[in-house]
Amino acid sequence: MSAALPLAASTTYVPRRKRPSIWVVLPVLLLVGLSLLPLLYVGLKAWQAGLHEALRLLWRPFVWGLMRNTLLLMVGVTLACAILGLALAWLLERSDLPGRRLWGVILCLPFAVPAFVSGFTWVSLSPRFEGLGGAILVMTLSKYPLVFLPVAATLRNLDTSLEESARTLGQNRWGVFFRITLPLLWPSILGGSLLIALHMLVEFGALSILGLQTFTTAIYQQFELEFSNANAAMLSAVLLFMCLLMLWLELRVRGKARHVRIGQGVARRAAPVRLRAWTPMAQVFCLSLMLLGSGIPLGMLVYWLSVGSSAAFPVADISRALLSSLSLSLGGAGVSLLLALPVSFLVVRYKGRLALWAERLPYLLHALPGLVIALTLVYFALHYVPVLYQTTGLLLLAYALLFLPLAQAPVRTALNKASPQLEEAARTLGATSFGAFCRVTLPIIFPALAAAFALVFLDAMKELTATLLLSPTGMTTLATEVWAHTANVEFAAAAPYAALLILVSGLPVYLLTTRMYLNRA
Amino acid sequence: MTIRIKPIFRGLAATLFTLALGAPQVMAADSVSLTLYNGQHKEIGEAIAKAYEAKTGIHINIRKGSSNQLASQIIEEGDRSPADVIYTEESPPLNNLGELGLLAKIDDSTLQVLPKEYVANNGTWMGVTARTRVVAFNPKVIDEKALPPSVMDFANPEWDGKIGFVPTSGAFQEQAVAILKLHGREAAEEWLTGLKAFGKTYTNNMVALKAVENGEVAAVLVNNYYWYALKKERGQLDSKLYYLADGDAGGLVTISSAAAVKASKHPQEAQALLAWMASEEGQRVITQTTAEYPLHKGMVSDQGLKPFEDLRPPKITPADLGNAEEALELEREVGLL
Repeated sequence: MSAALPLAASTTYVPRRKRPSIWVVLPVLLLVGLSLLPLLYVGLKAWQAGLHEALRLLWRPFVWGLMRNTLLLMVGVTLACAILGLALAWLLERSDLPGRRLWGVILCLPFAVPAFVSGFTWVSLSPRFEGLGGAILVMTLSKYPLVFLPVAATLRNLDTSLEESARTLGQNRWGVFFRITLPLLWPSILGGSLLIALHMLVEFGALSILGLQTFTTAIYQQFELEFSNANAAMLSAVLLFMCLLMLWLELRVRGKARHVRIGQGVARRAAPVRLRAWTPMAQVFCLSLMLLGSGIPLGMLVYWLSVGSSAAFPVADISRALLSSLSLSLGGAGVSLLLALPVSFLVVRYKGRLALWAERLPYLLHALPGLVIALTLVYFALHYVPVLYQTTGLLLLAYALLFLPLAQAPVRTALNKASPQLEEAARTLGATSFGAFCRVTLPIIFPALAAAFALVFLDAMKELTATLLLSPTGMTTLATEVWAHTANVEFAAAAPYAALLILVSGLPVYLLTTRMYLNRA
Repeated sequence: MTIRIKPIFRGLAATLFTLALGAPQVMAADSVSLTLYNGQHKEIGEAIAKAYEAKTGIHINIRKGSSNQLASQIIEEGDRSPADVIYTEESPPLNNLGELGLLAKIDDSTLQVLPKEYVANNGTWMGVTARTRVVAFNPKVIDEKALPPSVMDFANPEWDGKIGFVPTSGAFQEQAVAILKLHGREAAEEWLTGLKAFGKTYTNNMVALKAVENGEVAAVLVNNYYWYALKKERGQLDSKLYYLADGDAGGLVTISSAAAVKASKHPQEAQALLAWMASEEGQRVITQTTAEYPLHKGMVSDQGLKPFEDLRPPKITPADLGNAEEALELEREVGLL
């Protein structure tokens, strides 16, 4: 190609294959090492217990029961979310339902409520929502926007000419939907569904509150019974395996998920399907989804707040938890960003084995359950880095591992757009490579850094599992307080913490997400 | 833009630095502060910390966890343990730590104020309070006369869906060991198998008790003080306590206990805290926070409990319960854990 078209080649920039600076390599190596620790931990514990004992711990009816619960939950919630999300996306994007823009905004409200908070509100409504059925219901209602949003976006940008061609070729509406529209939507449905399936594997707080025993809750139970033991490690091994399987599936789907539109001009928007007599039914559907998805959680929360305020509000405790939540999240966002920068830098600017690792790292980290990361860090800190044991530093490290995938996405996109030629121009004018980066590239990517910081900060506020295991002695956060009070069935006491959590983390996340949804319109 | 970035990053770095290093420094600035690994209820640990700091000026950092978890944690931490004192809901975890040589011997003057049977033979741990296993039942769901004389009967099919229990609770595990000592391993295994088949499991004792109070289950196996705690909070309860027949494992008396960790960097202060917890003053603070029986010789509870001497527990002492490891073993065998 470059031989045939030398001119074209000279216009695209090929990065120089020099060795990346040590300040880029070191953090990436550290992260790669840390992300492999959970596997090492599981292996080490299995080796300590002996192969025979390890297999005995794995192969028993209790573990089969966990497997059954985990799989049923995962399949049930994923299927329900896929169907619900697809139906809703079609209704709001392709029909003439009155008020569909408003419905779109309202029906994304579950984004504002962390899953364990909505779990607590449902259980406080009636203990009948405990167990598998209740867990599938509550988790579906809190996760369906993860399918709805991407599918709605795809539907909106879909070129309708394909569908119209199919119509002219004699397909009826259903035929078009199943033979044309659904295959086009398949990548977004599958992407969202796999994300939900992964969430179901690693979810702990909500399931523990809903009283469903899965791998995560059983691992925590083992931790409570015997701290860091072979049992917990073996259950973690199964969980890790399942998560990595999901990761593999996701990567496969991602690779194939591409539909190309040939032709020029803007894709025309589809004419809305008239619902006619179905309109009231569709309105009832949206209304009931609103009542169940956000009405019950928020309503119950308000109820418990009003019940609780009659008793004394523990202002000192609440502000202490708020303060540690805020500072931990600030710290976590800072550390994640500091580590996301070299990772993205390496991926965008360099080639080679390390860059490849840096490229895969976020996906791997994304698939690691927080509970297993925390167990691993406790073990290794205690035995090999005792200075870090029970310190805020260790918890922040866990946050960095958990939230790096979130932080690196916007940073990477921005770095891709920041041309290295500008930096090189600065170098020719005498700046050092670090100086050139700080004075040229950094200002360009600054908005992305800020966005990444905000994303991690907001998400870290509701982190529960790693915080439970790793927080320094005496430290409580909003999330751990909600969890602790709910565990003792003290719903009114949990309410103020949950409300604050929604206020400082849930609502901003919701606003950010729906703004993206509206902007694309 | 370039001008503004540097201070931001400097600020960020400073924030991170303070966050990472600030907490331990603040602690180090105090003269002495103790770390208490608290497996007992949160409120009790907090009441102790508050009263003790008011009296001595010594701050107590509390790490809350389950008794088993914290004891296992101290085993794993070994001589690096940051804990000074451990306070558990049960005696078996401390028996285990004592056997492994991870606890310091408690001062004789402290042990002397407590009954001999509630103190470790080698003096490494002491009982703090006593409580009894009971059955809490809801008279709206089941008649008191229908309740059996022995806790063993709850493993029978006629209790299908009517009996609740907490397999992860240390007190339940102590009860299982008591049954093992009284009736043999086979009977204990059968009992657990029956409970697993017919009973409802709960994640903790308060959840179980509230399930009885709401009529979701007829009866549950719990400790007496949960019922008094709920009564204090709500004023009036539907559920009632039922004490099983004389000498039955269902009426087992168990103790909360405390010990000084050998790895402690403040051994004297740790001993002083234990002495205070055993003293009349400390015991009053503790037994006013929880409806348990004080163990300090001659003291009685002022919470309106059934008098301690009227209880008819089986002849099983904390020493008999040992480290209760058979309980976990059995529970795993029958698939409860």
